[in-house]
Amino acid sequence: MSLSPGAPWPWRRLATAAGLWCIAVGLGMMAVWLAEPAGLAARHPGFFGMKFNAALAFTVVGAALLLIRRGYRRVPALMMAPVVLYGALALSQHLLRIDVGIDTLLHTPFVDIGTSVPGRIAPNTALCFMLVGAAVAVRALRGEGSLPQIALGFAAFTIAAAALLGYAIALDFAHDWIAFTRMSPQSASCFALVGAALIFADTREAGYPRTALAALLGVATYLILLAMTYRELYRFEAAFGLTFSTSGPHGTLSSLVLISGTLYCALVAHLFHSARKARRMAADLAENRARLSAIIDNAVDGIITIDGRGTIQSVNPACTRIFGYRPDEMIGRNVKMLMPEPYHSAHDGYLAHYRETGEARIIGQGREAEGRRRDGSVFPLDLAVAKLDLGRTVAYSGIVRDISERKRSETALLEANAELEEFAYRTSHDLRSPIASSLGLLTIAREMLADGETAALEQTLGRMERNFRRLDHLIQNIITLTRNRLMEEDAEPIAVRAAVAEAIDALSHLDDVQHIAIENHVADELTIVAKPSKFHVAIGNMLSNAVKYHDPQEAQPRIDIRADRRAGKVRISVEDNGLGVPPASRHLLFQMFKRLHPNRSFGSGLGLYILRKTAEGMGGTALYEAREKGSRFAIELPEGEGQ
Amino acid sequence: MTLGSILVVDDDENDQFICEYTIRRFDPDIRILKAFDGAEALDILRAETPDAIILDINMPVMNGFEFLDRYAAEFEEHAPVVAMLTSSHLGKDRERALQYAFVKSYFEKPLTAQHLRVMAELLDG
Repeated sequence: MSLSPGAPWPWRRLATAAGLWCIAVGLGMMAVWLAEPAGLAARHPGFFGMKFNAALAFTVVGAALLLIRRGYRRVPALMMAPVVLYGALALSQHLLRIDVGIDTLLHTPFVDIGTSVPGRIAPNTALCFMLVGAAVAVRALRGEGSLPQIALGFAAFTIAAAALLGYAIALDFAHDWIAFTRMSPQSASCFALVGAALIFADTREAGYPRTALAALLGVATYLILLAMTYRELYRFEAAFGLTFSTSGPHGTLSSLVLISGTLYCALVAHLFHSARKARRMAADLAENRARLSAIIDNAVDGIITIDGRGTIQSVNPACTRIFGYRPDEMIGRNVKMLMPEPYHSAHDGYLAHYRETGEARIIGQGREAEGRRRDGSVFPLDLAVAKLDLGRTVAYSGIVRDISERKRSETALLEANAELEEFAYRTSHDLRSPIASSLGLLTIAREMLADGETAALEQTLGRMERNFRRLDHLIQNIITLTRNRLMEEDAEPIAVRAAVAEAIDALSHLDDVQHIAIENHVADELTIVAKPSKFHVAIGNMLSNAVKYHDPQEAQPRIDIRADRRAGKVRISVEDNGLGVPPASRHLLFQMFKRLHPNRSFGSGLGLYILRKTAEGMGGTALYEAREKGSRFAIELPEGEGQ
Repeated sequence: MTLGSILVVDDDENDQFICEYTIRRFDPDIRILKAFDGAEALDILRAETPDAIILDINMPVMNGFEFLDRYAAEFEEHAPVVAMLTSSHLGKDRERALQYAFVKSYFEKPLTAQHLRVMAELLDG
């Protein structure tokens, strides 16, 4: 029995086949009865075991089955009424030993075989008509499969199958329930087919397992046959005194039949139980596999398995996202395709080394490594490799996680931390420096006062004042930095030329500014969308820087401010012919607390650092370009929606 | 042996002034050499070796530590007393400075007569 519940066998066609078979057999037999072929009857009397009435009833049953398949419900149900009634009357004639006259009502047989009374059907045939008729009627009325239908079909099939087998093994009692009145092979075949259709055609919908029903059917048929055999055998043993022992009440042969039957039943039960267990295990396995693959397929991390040589055997969808290859581009290729140098060349060696020495460098533990995407880009990843022992072969599973984002923020955090430390160190120094100096000057001033050196005292007080101005400047700068960092402001359109002009006006307090020719070359119509206060800080910073570091020896000191737009960016440059930046110090530009000019200690060391931070705060960058004489500082800002 | 000459290395003009004034008051006979950053100091040291060096750490162009590295590497003869003079005590800076054999003291600004006394004792000791 290979009736697996999942097999897509068209069970509903069984009903059609049964219906057509019943009609064919019924019509054929009726034709034969009407034709009265005397010669055939003499040669093959067995052929006439099926009566005219039975043939008619089968035709009706077959027609009803076909109608049900077409969706009719009431007509086939009504058609079953006479069939059931006929069966009931025929059976009662046997049981009550009466004759109600239905046997020859429609047709008088020209020959009589296998019948106690001419035209009378066997009791098992009558019973089967009742069962089948009732089952078909139930199916027709309900429009779907049901337990009564299956039970009735089951009984009819068992009786018919026993009769058929009886013919096969020459056990008369199987078809002749009473002497000389038998269920013909034709009838038995019809009942068996109809019974099977009733049992199996609707079971899926009714929710009964076909395999279990089929097994039960086989066992029931066998048991009935066995019981009949036992009965017959026992009867013969009793009649003829066939026994191999005098002690037992039963004959050895009949007992053997019973024992074999019991063993067979036990075997069938065991088989059935095992089959059920195997099916449940298979279902569990399938469920587990589905669950596992759901986890792997939906994992955020890439999961790759390779064999002992490094050939990729499986990848999950996350791998496609991480590496950019389709699964079919990875499977079957060596896993080193996903690695940049030096891992790419070394990986075969790693595997061989592990195969030969068993010395694991990465297996069983995670580590940071690098991956190579399809586009050639290299990225940092977390890699965890595990060895999979698969009996005869070894495979490795790797779990990879793209940690580019984490690395980026890690680096940014470390940089920010280092900067903060530097800031704390430098401020502690630079804040105290003017104070320490002033304390020294104060002591000196006191001594000068005591000595009455007024001129020198005046000079010393001037030095103290410069110290305090320096301190104030530093603190102002720190405030600017902090405000820049903390202040949330929205970008708005800024007219660049006007902003530059304003910044130039603000320089007037600086020494020497009146000697410098400052020219604003920015076009009138240029506007930029930027954060206004940051923008003003940046412009002011570049300008004051250019003024502070002008060359006192220069005959015509000048500063030129230009702005242009290129490649979606606005670049504002401040150019001077001042002192410039010595080449050796240029790498320190834009770092905090770097003063690059000897003997010019008035700067806080924060100016260019503020410029860079401010430009970055606006999404831009700060640049330095050396000139033959002097410097050019510039900021490049994203254009925003500026026109 | 008394302090005959001192090289003051400091970028801050006021600090230079304080050092000069304090040294003069301490002993008017001491010759004072001035350098405004490490590079200038090295130039002076190539010409002569003073009895003592007073060295600031935070300077543009070449800071105190860069100066010490170069001074240790490029010179066989070092000034007998090298004293650091900085505006703040930071453990890290102090440790780093005192790793040089010729760095004898670590003072906090401003320079005082007491600092010079210590240096004179170190020179004698």
